[in-house]
Amino acid sequence: MTEKYNSHPLVDATEPNLLEDTFDYGLPPLIRFDGPMIEHVDGKPVEFDPGALKTRPIVITDTTFRDGQQARPPYAVDQMVRIYDLLAKLGGPRGVIRQTEFFLYTANDRETLDRCRELGHKYPECTGWIRAVKGDFRLVKEAQLAESGMLTSCSDYHIFQKLKFKSRRECMDSYCEVVDAAFEAGVRPRCHLEDVTRADIDGFVLPFVERLMRMSEQAPEYLAAKVRLCDTMGFGVSFPGVELPRSIPKLIYKLNREVGVPGDRLEWHGHNDFHKVHTNAAAAWLYGCDAVNTTLFGFGERTGNPPLEAAIIEYISLKGDLCGINTEIITELADYMRSIGLPIPDHYPLVGKAFNTTRAGIHAGGLRQDERIYNIFDTTKLLGRPPRVSLTDKSGADGVAHWVNEFFGLTGDDRISMIKCHKVARWVTDQYKEGRMTAISDEELEQQVKELMPEYWEKYKG
Amino acid sequence: MERSQVEQRVVKVTCQVLGVDAAMVQPDSHFVFDLGAESTQSVELVAAFDGEFDIEMDEDAALQVETVGAAVEFITASLA
Repeated sequence: MTEKYNSHPLVDATEPNLLEDTFDYGLPPLIRFDGPMIEHVDGKPVEFDPGALKTRPIVITDTTFRDGQQARPPYAVDQMVRIYDLLAKLGGPRGVIRQTEFFLYTANDRETLDRCRELGHKYPECTGWIRAVKGDFRLVKEAQLAESGMLTSCSDYHIFQKLKFKSRRECMDSYCEVVDAAFEAGVRPRCHLEDVTRADIDGFVLPFVERLMRMSEQAPEYLAAKVRLCDTMGFGVSFPGVELPRSIPKLIYKLNREVGVPGDRLEWHGHNDFHKVHTNAAAAWLYGCDAVNTTLFGFGERTGNPPLEAAIIEYISLKGDLCGINTEIITELADYMRSIGLPIPDHYPLVGKAFNTTRAGIHAGGLRQDERIYNIFDTTKLLGRPPRVSLTDKSGADGVAHWVNEFFGLTGDDRISMIKCHKVARWVTDQYKEGRMTAISDEELEQQVKELMPEYWEKYKG
Repeated sequence: MERSQVEQRVVKVTCQVLGVDAAMVQPDSHFVFDLGAESTQSVELVAAFDGEFDIEMDEDAALQVETVGAAVEFITASLA
């Protein structure tokens, strides 16, 4: 059999095409679509229009103080107030970070909520989180919150094995009683479908949510129930063609288009047990769920949740605009979290100490010629973090020169050539010839520059 | 400066920086493959030539020079 391939002749060029429509260095790289996404649901092709994201009211919600706090010792009240303040500044006046949720059970919980609200920020809106217990709505009402999450676990692992209901009907009736209590208390219920990616979708999830929608029709619009899809164990999969209950596209399609939950009342809450957490959250946005629930730096129960800062960057990439977001606050938040004992690995994207630090000399050479070659976007402008070089045996004279210029703050024609840095490069090379096995610290290099390049030290640091 | 003088001083500097015997340094000797110049030594060679001849060579162009003979040509042109 003869295979036929298309011909792809070279498009010769003498000037580079840097694809700047997508890779505008002043923004995170844009995600541009050139057609619909197609998923087969119940044997029929269904189209989703990712281009609609530009205008859809997608938002980020936060659970740093709830799920995030389940992964660590409790935050002090002052710490939570500081984090809340920074979240407000990060999300900006348009409320890209739309809501954050609080426990309500202790005096500390309630004091935190009060002090956060005293800051006077419109966003993130404060919401509560309670068990699916009727009496708990008294706490929500006393706290004068307009909305609260409530746990409505929906897999049989939870219904039978954990909650010990005798039947699915008994379970559903119990949840609906609590939803009624929310309506009576004048609080919008947000039903958290715990373990939805391991649930019987047709047998329990759709009938329950359908009932929620019917109940909501009897309530004022501002109380209509929201639905949070909780991928509790990280089983959700974003690829097309996956069957329920693990398919994120199908789950959202069923709830949105078959049961009639509007996109702005649907929220995705993921976990990172299979390293899929951020992509799954972004997929939820794409397939019609307007809110993705996140935590700062992904800290959350077990392997954590979608990282809020990654969702921020994804948001900008999808919208093609900063939308009032102040991205530099991401770095401020990371510095603050480190200062209160939250460990962030050096290689962690966007905020790790080494996220835009190269160790290879050939990469340092690229950075010297045009920093866009090895930097993801203008990290100096957007995150206050210029690309850096960390020196090892692989760094070469290029790496040394990059470090020296960054240290002196020199750019463009003011940069010191590699040749002028040769004595420091020799010192670095000799370190490894003598058997050194560790990276060279900034302090060591500073000392060498002072000794071996005294004329420049005098000029720029003297 | 006479070309022969340039050649003599290039050989001297090359021997000093790379630690090789003068007999090895021929016009067609490749700095890396024949004389064993490592990455940092290549930069040191250019720095040493700059100092020896009191010139400031273009860094990228100088680092493209591969042989002793080519270095002599390059420096002679820089001195002209």
